[in-house]
Amino acid sequence: MAGQTQRRKRATHEGFLRHRGFLFLKIGTVLCVGVTAAYLFQDQRLPRGGGTLLGYGLGTAGALLIVWLALLGVRKRAVTNGYYSLKAWVSAHVYLGLALIVIGTLHTGFHFGWNVHTLAYGLMMLVITSGAVGVWAYATLPKTLSDNRAEATRKQMLARIRSLDEALLDAAQPLPRIDAEIVRLSLEKTEIAGGYWQRVMQNWDNCANKAAIAQLQPVLAGATGQQAAVLRRVDALMRDKADALAQARKQIHITALLEGWLFVHVPSTFALLAALVAHIVSVFLYW
Amino acid sequence: MTQTILLRTITRQAGGGEIVRTREIGGPDAMIGRGVNCDIALPDLSVDPEHAMLRITGQSRVTIESLTGEPFQMNGKAVLRVELEVARAPVVTFGSYDLLFGQGGEGDISVTVLRHPEPHPAAPSLFSLRTSVFGRRRTAWVTGLTILLLCLVLPLAGGAWINHSRIHPDRQWSSGPLSKAHAFLEKDCQACHQQAFVAVRDTACLSCHQAGDAAATARIDARVLREGSPFLPLLVSDHARHDKLVSATPPPPTLKGKVVSIFQGAMNHPSDRCASCHLEHTSRPVDRNVSATADIVRPGKPALVVVTDCAGCHSRLKMRLPSTGLIDTPDWNRHPEFRPAVNLGFDGPQPRIERVSLASPQLEANGLTFSHRLHMSATGGVARQGQVLGAARGYGSALTCQSCHRPEGGGFKPIEMERDCGACHSLAFAQVGGALQTLRHHDMRDVAGLLRGALAPASPPKVDPAVLRRALAPGGLCVDCHTVRPSAGLLGAEIAPVRLADRLLPWGDFNHGVPAHNGVGKGAAACADCHKAQVSDRANDLLIEGVATCKGCHGRTEHETTAAASGRCGECHSFHAPGQAPRTGQDRLFGVLGLPAGVKPRGIPTF
Repeated sequence: MAGQTQRRKRATHEGFLRHRGFLFLKIGTVLCVGVTAAYLFQDQRLPRGGGTLLGYGLGTAGALLIVWLALLGVRKRAVTNGYYSLKAWVSAHVYLGLALIVIGTLHTGFHFGWNVHTLAYGLMMLVITSGAVGVWAYATLPKTLSDNRAEATRKQMLARIRSLDEALLDAAQPLPRIDAEIVRLSLEKTEIAGGYWQRVMQNWDNCANKAAIAQLQPVLAGATGQQAAVLRRVDALMRDKADALAQARKQIHITALLEGWLFVHVPSTFALLAALVAHIVSVFLYW
Repeated sequence: MTQTILLRTITRQAGGGEIVRTREIGGPDAMIGRGVNCDIALPDLSVDPEHAMLRITGQSRVTIESLTGEPFQMNGKAVLRVELEVARAPVVTFGSYDLLFGQGGEGDISVTVLRHPEPHPAAPSLFSLRTSVFGRRRTAWVTGLTILLLCLVLPLAGGAWINHSRIHPDRQWSSGPLSKAHAFLEKDCQACHQQAFVAVRDTACLSCHQAGDAAATARIDARVLREGSPFLPLLVSDHARHDKLVSATPPPPTLKGKVVSIFQGAMNHPSDRCASCHLEHTSRPVDRNVSATADIVRPGKPALVVVTDCAGCHSRLKMRLPSTGLIDTPDWNRHPEFRPAVNLGFDGPQPRIERVSLASPQLEANGLTFSHRLHMSATGGVARQGQVLGAARGYGSALTCQSCHRPEGGGFKPIEMERDCGACHSLAFAQVGGALQTLRHHDMRDVAGLLRGALAPASPPKVDPAVLRRALAPGGLCVDCHTVRPSAGLLGAEIAPVRLADRLLPWGDFNHGVPAHNGVGKGAAACADCHKAQVSDRANDLLIEGVATCKGCHGRTEHETTAAASGRCGECHSFHAPGQAPRTGQDRLFGVLGLPAGVKPRGIPTF
């Protein structure tokens, strides 16, 4: 029981980066220093690369590491009784994955070319780089996401936009067609989220609601009487909608950053495993 | 009977179900529009406040006409006016509303107003990227399988399916460019990688580089040129049998080396292959600062990594190779005294050649009597004869070394009696019709046959055996130069076999053509520095100096001598051409200059 309590405490107060006092950071650092020293002190006469004893050693270690790192995808889906916790796995995944940069690069001996071997290396670096973006995202974005949310759930954000749309529709009923078209632009053409790059780059400059507000201003300036009152109401509603959209889109952007790296990390991991198999088989086939 | 319009408005509820409101519109007309005062009010911003007028025009017939010039939809077409027969249940669309016409009870016209179902409202899943981009899993599998197909399956299948194509999918497996010497094989991986999962074996290398007889060399040359090589392959031999080389190689001195050795053995990647030292697919030259053999840096050729250098094997060699007769040479300073291969006598016609040390010189049994001192003297009969013969016949004064030893390449043409001695030492033995009959010296069978009268000329002279006996007797014609020994034959004596040594040091290369060996340049060695011929009275003196003479220049610094030269093994010995110094790219380059047009050079000529 005491053990379980302790584990829970750690889980509450310690993220995967700081797991067990940066244990895996230390292991990864020792690994990097060790292989770098071995690389620098190896037989100077031989061309450095995968063909030396150290090269084969680094290659084997790197390949095993890559397979083990990829198995995180399996491990995270498995429910275990708490030993070898998922957090420990993730911590090791991060730091040993970063150590792979050194292992893999020294394995190449800095020989690069247009071949399957460099393809495997490039994919490995892509996987690691995207993973590093993921670590950054997981370390920094959840707080931003939470701050932006301001107690509102995603459902509530969408409901607010929807209710503003309904109010806008009601408010615009007295308007003549020409003015109603502006409101329709906001109601019918506003896209909340958009595509991958739009989400990642926060590029919503072509927002229909924003365009509608801009188009409404000259009309509002020239309006009088009852129409002016309606237009002012419409304008206010569209500005409220713009605020609601901004909040939702901020949430969408942060979510995209949180998830976006995985859309590179996972497919490139599969590509890396395939290139790794091709690399190993081809090296030994044409030994 | 007056027809009326019955309006049914159906509103769908969010939780499912519908609310139906029915009312009757008095009069034959009904205004359709967004305005709240319209008879048929459609709260849609794409509909004008007073958009169109519905009129009953006859029994079950109505017209709808736009009042604003804005169209509405009828069967998917934009129209401004329509006439409808309600019996046909037409549908007219204004914005997001459908007006369904039908026959009401008692001849009335029924108009049902139905709003289009709203598109699905945005769901919270909208916040996730998954709604906007490709599926991660599918992309992962597609990418992975594509790479596997293109980078592994295709090259594997390539050998079987598209072998003769210009496309070589297995080239993507090449870990780096081949050296210039082998660049023509870039598209033919299997020229060297002959067996799958087996490291490149010597048979692959020797299929192009094995030194052999002329026919074998011609076959190799033709094959290599067919493959597209711009030059002929260098031909190599080992300087000892392969098993001896392996036995002579010392084990790695370091623990790491031993581990590497065990590892290589376990991986079927032995270190005694050609490819163990000659590395391909390495784009960068090997570290030039490493001292190894003379030609470690060889532009255009595969990188050379000397796994074990000369001294590595030739130190304590007898411990590893008890059968060897070689003396250890750990370095140039400890190079043993020369042991020339000397003919010590004849077993019948066969010379008995042994290696003897110059430290305890022995005489060479070459079957000749000859005094270098006499022939090279600046005074005396020989010198006078040289003057008599004159410059036109290649003499003119006292004899020099070159009077008889005519340079050719790095050595000399073989001594030929008729050419090199015949100007003075006449072989005439008879006179027939005023013309002298001369012996043909170069073949003893001819000489004997001629003297017996068995060969041409057609009318052989009768030779008195007494003449021959005189020739073989002390002071006779033959005895001037030949060793004569007793014989059981008719003449009672015979000329001993003659063997002039071609090379006294067959395992080392001494290039007489090098200026520094030729008396050209400051401090250079002249003939007399190494060959004490001018004081030699016997033909069987070994006229070479010991290794100490070589060390006068080789292994010295420029501070010590102006003719300083390297003390590396490669100055005189090469691994793959026993008895020859390694040829450099420059040697080959100058060799190319002398080639006739169209003849390919052997080896890549480089600086």
